[in-house]
Amino acid sequence: MGRIALELLLRRIILAIPILICVSALIFILLRLVPADPVAMSLPPGSSQADYEAMKQALGLDRSIPEQYWIWISSLLRGDFGTSVFFRRPVIDLVATALPATVELVVFSLIVGTLLGIGGGMLMFAWRGTIGEQVLDLGTTAIMAVPEFLWAILLILFLGVAVPLLPFIGRLDPSVSLPPSVTGFLLLDSIMTGRPDVLGSALTHMVLPVIALSIGLAPLIMRVLRSSLIETIMEDYITQARLRGISERQIILHHALKNAALPTISLIGVQGGFMFGGTVLVEMIFAYPGLGNLMVDAVRNHDLPVVQVVGLVYCVLVLAINAIVDVIYLAANPKLRMA
Amino acid sequence: MADVLRAKNLTVSSAGGIAVLRDISFAVARGEIIGLVGESGAGKSMLGRVIAANLPGGFHVSEGSLDFGGADLTRITGEARRQLLGREIAFIPQEPLTSLNPVLTIGQQFSEHLARIGGLPRSAFREHIVQALADVRLRNPEDLLQRYPFQLSGGMCQRVLIAMAFAAKPALVIADEPTTALDVSTQATVVQIMRRLQREQGTAMVFITHDLRLAARVCNRIAVLYAGEVIEEGPAGEVLEAPRHPYTRVLKAANPVLSGPRHRLRTLPDQMPTVEAFARLPGCRFATRCPVADPACAAAIPTLREIAPAHFVRCSDACGERAAALVEAEPILVPPAADKGSEPVLVLEGLSKHYPGKADWLGRRKPGTDAVKNVGLTVQRGEFIGIVGESGSGKSTLARLIAGLETPTDGRILVAGEDVTRADSKARALRLETLQMVFQDPQSALNPRRSIDHIVTQAMEPTGASRAERLERARSLLAETKLSGELLERYPAQLSGGQKQRVNIARALCVTPHLLIADEIVSGLDVSVQAQILNLLLDLRAARDLSLVLISHDLAVVRYLCSRVVIMHHGVVVEEGEVDRVFGDPQHPYTRQLIAAVPPDDLDTPWPAPVAVEPDNAEGLERASI
Repeated sequence: MGRIALELLLRRIILAIPILICVSALIFILLRLVPADPVAMSLPPGSSQADYEAMKQALGLDRSIPEQYWIWISSLLRGDFGTSVFFRRPVIDLVATALPATVELVVFSLIVGTLLGIGGGMLMFAWRGTIGEQVLDLGTTAIMAVPEFLWAILLILFLGVAVPLLPFIGRLDPSVSLPPSVTGFLLLDSIMTGRPDVLGSALTHMVLPVIALSIGLAPLIMRVLRSSLIETIMEDYITQARLRGISERQIILHHALKNAALPTISLIGVQGGFMFGGTVLVEMIFAYPGLGNLMVDAVRNHDLPVVQVVGLVYCVLVLAINAIVDVIYLAANPKLRMA
Repeated sequence: MADVLRAKNLTVSSAGGIAVLRDISFAVARGEIIGLVGESGAGKSMLGRVIAANLPGGFHVSEGSLDFGGADLTRITGEARRQLLGREIAFIPQEPLTSLNPVLTIGQQFSEHLARIGGLPRSAFREHIVQALADVRLRNPEDLLQRYPFQLSGGMCQRVLIAMAFAAKPALVIADEPTTALDVSTQATVVQIMRRLQREQGTAMVFITHDLRLAARVCNRIAVLYAGEVIEEGPAGEVLEAPRHPYTRVLKAANPVLSGPRHRLRTLPDQMPTVEAFARLPGCRFATRCPVADPACAAAIPTLREIAPAHFVRCSDACGERAAALVEAEPILVPPAADKGSEPVLVLEGLSKHYPGKADWLGRRKPGTDAVKNVGLTVQRGEFIGIVGESGSGKSTLARLIAGLETPTDGRILVAGEDVTRADSKARALRLETLQMVFQDPQSALNPRRSIDHIVTQAMEPTGASRAERLERARSLLAETKLSGELLERYPAQLSGGQKQRVNIARALCVTPHLLIADEIVSGLDVSVQAQILNLLLDLRAARDLSLVLISHDLAVVRYLCSRVVIMHHGVVVEEGEVDRVFGDPQHPYTRQLIAAVPPDDLDTPWPAPVAVEPDNAEGLERASI
């Protein structure tokens, strides 16, 4: 198992290289087509034409696009991610604070969405053929019909404004001071530095965005799990287990679920990638200081160095989620491990 | 001896009140095996479903009882039944490969079963399982614990399932076609292991099968089922050697044999009535197909009469006055001499197919397999040749090579004297008009969305033939394959298995080929339907001077149809020659092993013979370690 999983990861990493080259080139070229002038933005008001030309040269913008691309890539490889034109700070610092926030959000949403989906899927399966299943079916259809950003707004209206139960702005209460950064992940840092106030505040701030992000995932998992469970219990080995007198509960938990989980795991891999896209709008609505907000700010301000890097980071995140799900799938499916 | 299971007037009805099992009575005592024999649709699997309370939707026990140790299995509730299953009543399934959970190891599944049976501390499980697996002659049982079912062969999986079934020392074992999905030589091993455990534990056993000859070998008593009724029941040897009911007689005479003279197989018209048709058969359900029925048969349900000690027959002619007409045998077949004068239809020279191993992501290749290795073969006009082998012998690859569905890695294929090895357009055209392939599974070989007339005249599509021409041709092809013209407008789903296989053959005949390649075309069919197809092929040879390459695992079928036989093993021809010479005096040990695995017709010859029961799980482990 270990060796095969390692080989799989290695193969994924090697395959990621051409993907990242293509994506970076695409981002870079597309951004050169945007009618924005980073040179002018980098200059203080009242600068002269000579200052303009000097800045253009300093930024390397007088070269051809392939040359510029090469300069960007080679500095990326050296660890130089550039400087934000708008924030006047190194891009790496901006990403380093925003990335953990988004990863926390996505990981939590995936976990919550998966748990809800598995629970709901088993409930739907247990209620198959009853009115309960139809109610669940109708309910989940309605939930899926509402996009996640609208869920975010509805949640704020109901649970934040009408019944003010939960905070809906930012990552922490303004009254709570930030703990010293150890890993950059707020939840981990608050535990490691012994700050339950931070942990509590951060968790309550995550509730609404996590619901908004996971509420679309759960119904998908529910449906896929339900139908694969229904397929699985028709299999010969389930009949044979019944004929051995294995209890129905044990049959579902020990025999059927393990087989029915396989298509569900694939689905989570695909949806996990989409979820990063969902974070952009959701983070903006909740003023959550993650990658999405950083990206929106950067786009709004024509901050090309930030947009480029954040775009690439999203690509890496999607590839990473897919690789992790592949390893989980490998662990769950002995047929792949032994082949 | 006390009866372990006693069925009394057991009747199972559909929602519409039609009895799909009617008035079934039998008993099986401790240490006894009863065989339930019948073709598909006879209702033989329904009994197991009654015991497991797993009847298909709408079906229910409407009358009678099924007594097991004082409890009526038709009445007990879910939890009480579950307590019996696995402990007191164990099942051996038909499809061993799919009856074990693919994501759990053998050890995990066996442990779960032991935990369910109870009475053993968890710490003793491992030793117990290893012993049980060794007991069914599986090699390296320690190693098997960590294996997953898909790493094992079908025969190995079945032995695991048998070990599990007998682990609780159950009073009753229900084995539903336990060897049907297995290779011949594996069948012998599995039967022997099952019988030994049954004898040692004194288990009562219900052995469900379509194979009358196998049942006679395994069982003490046999009940023959037809359309949901027991039509004959008696001591196993008597039922096989002196069947009394017309259906049992025909069933026996429809089965090709491995020794003695080759009589033309007896066939029955049509096929077993469906459940819906039962309603239109108020009297004897066999009457419409019975060769000796008289008008009274269709009116009254015959009773089960004892015609000899412990031998019962459900027939108005139980004493056999009318059935005497059936005794005279069908004529002996004389295969026509092959026409050696003209150009052979097909010549294979040193034909090989090597499949390279899969390369991993670093480009390291695993060792490949030689599916077919250096095979030479000549087929004359009008000659029927059988290619025999077990799964993995390369016989189907050979068929695909001949048909041009695969490209050989080495060697030559000559069709009507022309080299067609390299598939250029001329070679392809020649191949298409000279030889046609008939596929194994008519279900998937026929496009479900096309009507029969379109399917059988598919080959005329590129010629631009008119609708009228195609209908005309379709009609004559159906007539030639003895199908009613009414089927022209129907769709495959509306046809029975035997009818589909005829359509499959009719389609291949459309281009008037000289050679048919038939890959296991009767293996999925019932005995009486198989006989119809085999006789059809003989008639086609007489009418069309057709040649046939018959790929089959069934030695008796090959002996019935073919004049020459080729035995393949691991891609290599190990023996070939005249059918009577090869089967009568086999030279290669593998051929001997194959022949020994078939239950001989003479019940006095012991079977399985020792040579057939080599513990051979090496094959499965080989596959696993690749």
